[in-house]
Amino acid sequence: MSHNRKIFFLSLLTAAFGLMSAATSAQSKLSIDKVYSAYLRNSGTISNQGQIKGYFFLYQSDKIDKHTNEYTLQILDENLNKVRSIKFQDSKKLNLLESSYNGNSLSFLFKNEDEKTLDMKIYDMDGKLKNTYSRGYDKKTDALMKQYETMHTDEGMNKNVFDIGNQGYVSVLPMRDGKQRTYEVDYYSSEAKKQWTYVPSDDAEKYAFAEYLGATDSLIILEVLKKNHALSGNVTTHLVGINFVTKKKQFDIDYAADNYKLMPTYVAPLEGTGNVLVIGPYYDKDDNVGKDFSKGLAIYEMTTAGKFVNKTYNSWTEDFSKYLATNRKGKIDDVGFLYIHKVIRTPDHKMFIVGEGYKRQANAGGIALSVLAGGNVGVTKIVVTDMVMMEFDAKYKVKAATIYDKTNNTAMAGVASDYNSQHTLAIYLKMIGAFDYDFTTGEADNSNFAVCYSDYERSSDYKGQTFNAIRYNGSKFTTDKIPLKSKASTLKVFPAKAGSVMILEYFKKDKRLDFRLEKLG
Amino acid sequence: MPRPSGAPYAPFILVFFLFACLSVQSQVKDFSPAAQDDPFLTSLSEKYLRQYKENLDRLPSKNKKDLVEAYQHRWENIKEKFDKKEIYTSKAAQGYLDRLAGAIRQANPSLANVTLSCYFSRSDIPNASYIGEGIILFNMGLFERLDNESQAVFVLCHEMAHFLLRHSENSINQYVASINSEEVQAELRRIQRSEYQKHAQVQSLVKGLTFDSRRHSRDHEAQADSMAVQLMRNTRFALSGALSTLALLDVIDVDTLNTAVCLPAMFNATEYPFRKKWVARNEGLLGGHTEMRDTAMADSLKTHPDCQKRTALLVNLMKGWSQPGAVKYALDSANFASLKGIFRYETIEYAFLADNYTRSLFLTLELLQAKPGDPYLVAQIGRLFNGMYAAQKGHTLSKVTDLPSPGYPANYNLLLQFIQHLYLEDISSINYYYLKQHHPQMDGYSPFKNAFEQSEKLMKN
Repeated sequence: MSHNRKIFFLSLLTAAFGLMSAATSAQSKLSIDKVYSAYLRNSGTISNQGQIKGYFFLYQSDKIDKHTNEYTLQILDENLNKVRSIKFQDSKKLNLLESSYNGNSLSFLFKNEDEKTLDMKIYDMDGKLKNTYSRGYDKKTDALMKQYETMHTDEGMNKNVFDIGNQGYVSVLPMRDGKQRTYEVDYYSSEAKKQWTYVPSDDAEKYAFAEYLGATDSLIILEVLKKNHALSGNVTTHLVGINFVTKKKQFDIDYAADNYKLMPTYVAPLEGTGNVLVIGPYYDKDDNVGKDFSKGLAIYEMTTAGKFVNKTYNSWTEDFSKYLATNRKGKIDDVGFLYIHKVIRTPDHKMFIVGEGYKRQANAGGIALSVLAGGNVGVTKIVVTDMVMMEFDAKYKVKAATIYDKTNNTAMAGVASDYNSQHTLAIYLKMIGAFDYDFTTGEADNSNFAVCYSDYERSSDYKGQTFNAIRYNGSKFTTDKIPLKSKASTLKVFPAKAGSVMILEYFKKDKRLDFRLEKLG
Repeated sequence: MPRPSGAPYAPFILVFFLFACLSVQSQVKDFSPAAQDDPFLTSLSEKYLRQYKENLDRLPSKNKKDLVEAYQHRWENIKEKFDKKEIYTSKAAQGYLDRLAGAIRQANPSLANVTLSCYFSRSDIPNASYIGEGIILFNMGLFERLDNESQAVFVLCHEMAHFLLRHSENSINQYVASINSEEVQAELRRIQRSEYQKHAQVQSLVKGLTFDSRRHSRDHEAQADSMAVQLMRNTRFALSGALSTLALLDVIDVDTLNTAVCLPAMFNATEYPFRKKWVARNEGLLGGHTEMRDTAMADSLKTHPDCQKRTALLVNLMKGWSQPGAVKYALDSANFASLKGIFRYETIEYAFLADNYTRSLFLTLELLQAKPGDPYLVAQIGRLFNGMYAAQKGHTLSKVTDLPSPGYPANYNLLLQFIQHLYLEDISSINYYYLKQHHPQMDGYSPFKNAFEQSEKLMKN
């Protein structure tokens, strides 16, 4: 008996007929499925505080008139049960960008290309529309947004819409005004009809790129990279806190007075202290974060007013080299440089940081072509290497590091790989989805978590793609692997509820999608 | 859907002496599943395949392709019952069922020449069904919940009525005729030509067909009840069994195993204490998993909806009927009780063999409450946890377990939530320490020994 839930695109329609599907007995005879079909437009996960709580599927269920379609938004819970089916009419050019859940409402961010609006629709748990917030975007912004949409994020994880607890949602939007690049932060209340936009009016810089790092009960915290003009290599890094109660910027830290510059990649409230933990690679004060090598990993404790009360540095050359063979540039033997994907803190005050290696290698083909053609052919290539799990003690000092081997994966080859800096390369690799890290799934308190990544295996038993997990059960790490070869035309693995993954199999011949949840071992 | 534990059945010691002289398995205490007669199943399946093909040849030429397709669906369902060995081949049990059906035939001359066979299905779902090709399946999950033979006879008469009234065939014919009717075809052509609002139009068309189809289905149940009591009236089995069966069916989906109490009590070893988070409801959409809010919808999803309406119709029909000399047991009360006892074990075994470990686990836990320390049940816990360990390790757990769902009763959902919360090390430890309580006392029972040894190996992994 197969117990996996199956979703057929026509299930809404054909369910009423039970076993008997309409069929034709002659060419002139028509059946329901020949007259009507629904199309899946978008699908994705519904998350709450980083935990997967469900899935959405947006179908185009009808054409109403020349400009309008009917859509059906089907919502599944974390166990793949149908929760709600919401029908609405909207523009033909509608895309559902992301969804989020904050415990008492569901938010969906739509992009309406006809009206050039971003529409945030907030539904209550009965599927009733509570509020719609609309904001316009122009052509230039759209181009930037499209680029933003195609950028890779960890599979199935939100990149634009985030829940900030019971109060509502926030989205961070890249903007372009002439040659100036900037960003805006939209706040959407789920309690009452209330929306406001934070525009960074006090930034003199022409180029600012913002990334959402996290939130407290009153703060939205962003990492903002700024530079004066497009060609400037002098990138400054800022930690910006926006108070969503006062609607004002609470702090903007540029580390000018510090010995080191921090490039924050993770923030989270520190339970019981009211402070916030800020983690990321650090650089010498005069270094250019766009070009120079990082010194190591810094872990700061910060008040919500933006004051640092504790700073801990783990340098590649002194601290990490005890556990990993590291040179003075922070390059680890065989692994290369580390890109930090995830920071995980456990209830017993341990902290783990997940990194993935990348390094520049001689490109044999490129060298040969370069010699033969004498032309502009890259002589190096960038390869993505192994996963590295680092453990830190309660004082934020590194106490262990383990390398998890995987097959080296050529991420890019060409002239660009010859000249770009370590950090620029990492950002580019992340943007194009070249890293093998997929996502981390686990209990809400991280007492049990699994770091998931893709690999390619070539062995006598198996040759092909694999989905892998490094699981921590509260006391030790184990590994797990799912071979991705199956009878299905396509097999993909998506994040799911704590400790599980959702395996999606598409059977082209049967036009069938199977979903099932599997626990990682 | 898991079956709830029923009313306490006859005390075991009392019936034990009766069992000794009976042809059915006499000692449930040392239960071992009846060996399945595969050659018999194969020959039966082949016989019905031939019959199915002959019947296809006799279909009318009008809309034949659609009719063939519909009958093909029905045949695939029948074939699955044989392929998955759902049909119980114990000669003793089959003999008893044949005698029950024979008593109905004997009392109703109109049934003398019909080709109809009744079999026990090993499914725990409390149901019986006429599945086509003259086959009636009486699920063990329903039989073991009945109180007396007259109830079993009502169930058989009801399914015989579906057969005699050709409900299945009529539904197929009606559906095929509807979809091929000039009216529906013209409507479909019109919808196909229209550019906009196809969905709304198709929905409107489907709604009409669905309403008709559901109405007919409910009418069919009432018709089958009416004919069933007519058939039953001629037998020596008390007609009161019809009404008491419907009353039983109305509440048959209610589960009575309190998993919130049972799970911590059973799996709390000193070395591996029970953790509250294993039975915590996840805070997902709508609080962990969806809930059934619509009571009308909840009734329609019951294994047996509309029981109260059906009862009212029968009460009205049977007004003034008399049935002198009718009894609740007119055939073999000891055999009836014996089969009920065995079937509780057989359903556990079959759920396991049919790769539904969570259903098998629920049934096992339920029976263990009444029979603590039963060697088969203890060993079955071990087999199930060992099986779930292997499935989770091979990333196929979802193929042998159910996920929490609003369609399931709360206690079964809690068991499913429990399984969902367990990691490999939890499964192996829970199992090992549970079995260890019965080691070495049960080592002489080989299913236990095998399960325990396997759990020891998994603990070392």
